[in-house]
Amino acid sequence: MAITTTVIGSYPKPPDEGRAFVVRQTLHKLERKEATEEDLRGAQDDLARSIVGEQEVAGIDIVTDGHARWDDILTPFARHITGFEIGGLLRWFDNNVYYRRPVCVGDLEWGGPSSVDAWRFAHSVALKPVKAVLPGPITFARLSVDEHYGTHEEFVLAIARVLAQEAFELEAAGARYLQIDEPALLDAPEDLVLAKKALEIITGELKPSATEVTLATYFGDAKRLGEEIYDLPADVFGFDLVAGPENRAIVDALPGGKKVQAGLVDARNTKLEDKDDLARDIVTLAERFGADRVRVAPSSGLEFLPREKARAKLLHLAQAARRAETNGG
Amino acid sequence: MQRQTEGERFMTANAMQGPGLWTTSVGSFPKPDYIKKARSRFARKEISREELLDLERQATKEWIEFQDSIDIDLAVDGEMYRGDMVAFFAEELPGLEIGGLVRSYGNRYYRKPIATGPVGRDHAVTVDWWRYAQSLTDKPVKGMLTGPYTICDWSFNEHYSTRRDLVLDLAKVIRDEALDLERAGAKFIQIDEPAASTRMDELDLVIESMAVVTEPLSAHTITHICYGDFHNAYPKMLDIPVDQIDLEFANSDYSLLEEFSDHPFTKYIGFGVVDVHSHHEETVEEIAEGIRRGLKHIPADRIFVDPDCGLKTRTVEEAKTKLTNIKKAVDVVRAEL
Repeated sequence: MAITTTVIGSYPKPPDEGRAFVVRQTLHKLERKEATEEDLRGAQDDLARSIVGEQEVAGIDIVTDGHARWDDILTPFARHITGFEIGGLLRWFDNNVYYRRPVCVGDLEWGGPSSVDAWRFAHSVALKPVKAVLPGPITFARLSVDEHYGTHEEFVLAIARVLAQEAFELEAAGARYLQIDEPALLDAPEDLVLAKKALEIITGELKPSATEVTLATYFGDAKRLGEEIYDLPADVFGFDLVAGPENRAIVDALPGGKKVQAGLVDARNTKLEDKDDLARDIVTLAERFGADRVRVAPSSGLEFLPREKARAKLLHLAQAARRAETNGG
Repeated sequence: MQRQTEGERFMTANAMQGPGLWTTSVGSFPKPDYIKKARSRFARKEISREELLDLERQATKEWIEFQDSIDIDLAVDGEMYRGDMVAFFAEELPGLEIGGLVRSYGNRYYRKPIATGPVGRDHAVTVDWWRYAQSLTDKPVKGMLTGPYTICDWSFNEHYSTRRDLVLDLAKVIRDEALDLERAGAKFIQIDEPAASTRMDELDLVIESMAVVTEPLSAHTITHICYGDFHNAYPKMLDIPVDQIDLEFANSDYSLLEEFSDHPFTKYIGFGVVDVHSHHEETVEEIAEGIRRGLKHIPADRIFVDPDCGLKTRTVEEAKTKLTNIKKAVDVVRAEL
């Protein structure tokens, strides 16, 4: 019985200690006009390739490109959406990481694909399936400023329509795994009905059962959403079991036919989890739901860790999953 | 002896003249190219620590001279010797180790420390630098420390079973450092807590740990807080036991001032009037208008005017222009008082 391992999305960009940090150097050179956009793309291609490779070597079954070309999950999209401008720096949830807040100043319109080329590249260098990642419309809206629509609902639905186009293009390019990230929904239970409407706009663009949709939450627990989170249109539900231990009760209520993406290793602290503890945890989940309904993952994107630590965490996760397969589950 | 009130401590510091709107800086200044080069050469072991120190002293002297030249009221040493505000302390404190690179924003990365054992302190970390900077000017120089909550929040923790345990151990370390600064003569001590507004459910821990640091001090104490959930942190942040809170206003178009209408700001304020993450050079009039907006809520003799945050991410020229314009704007508004 196989247990699928996956990641949430981001991965550290710095190389291992002592190696040249080419992407960073190229960005500096680009600022001084000593490098071209072409040089940057090349450096980012190399980074994405190495990130995909590291995940595969560690034993991850569904990989991402590590968001190798992104600073966060909003701005790469906001930059391609007509109607958005990029604003000042704000803290990314409770992390010592900052993102630039998108500001909506006009009607939002899809201005061409934001993430399709990056997905295609990762797919071309990967042996394993590559998951495409989109920011969820609630999170997008809540972390942006709306100076145009006036109501939260209109703003969210406008974002959803644009993301729906992106999702359609990703599927057309061949993506079979699509993850929609909604960390901000955890603190916005009042948005649950709106989230359903918005996510249906996105998933409505996808061919029935061609693409598996994961709804990912992280950095906290879904206690305030409760089991109603399962009303949202997704095949897989992702929870952070490190920052939100109370998610275990919600995972326990996973409806039949749905899968869980359990964030088991701490993506925000260097302390390495014990493999036996992890394996036991995975066996418990597999016994409860059946191994085919369990995905195991880090608690969130891994870019909060130094590169070596991120890799070590993935290795532990994958080894624990293999150990769980032999020991039961 | 009963602890003095904030006003008494301010009077004891007795350094500020005039009607208020004193000018200062949050802490860091950009490093001139020769420091950046020297730091990488030091990292590659091509120059000695002493050679690097000499250059850092030279750069510190240049920044003190610049602040004197535009008549800044409360000087800072500019932190030429720091990589970043947490790693600098982590390098010197037993129990903390320097970890690998992680991203802060955009193309900016820092080495995030790891608590690997019980945190302690076996020597003063900032006192020599403070003494040196103060020897160069007649203006008071701030003692600059990073707060215990922020050091914890910006470090990995592999040793302590709870964050609170780590924060409270760090608080004792920072308190001892502050006491050494005070013994050396510092009248203004800033304990930066930029992470304080990160988690509302931990604001009590910020308050508890800051009390450990400031309780024995007679200096005027300041904390700098940035990039957070102000609307939820205010007015509770006024319970942080310091005399002055330094906040960024320019970056959010002075929106925090709206909060002050409902809940008056009761401490001395560090009033940030230029955005430190933007190449945009705020004009004297723009800054003056910002100060006037502040004056509607806080009296001049409770206001220190400064940039939103440390200026280290700007170029030397941008930083100097921003500081010069702040000083000019203050002169304009002071004349209107």
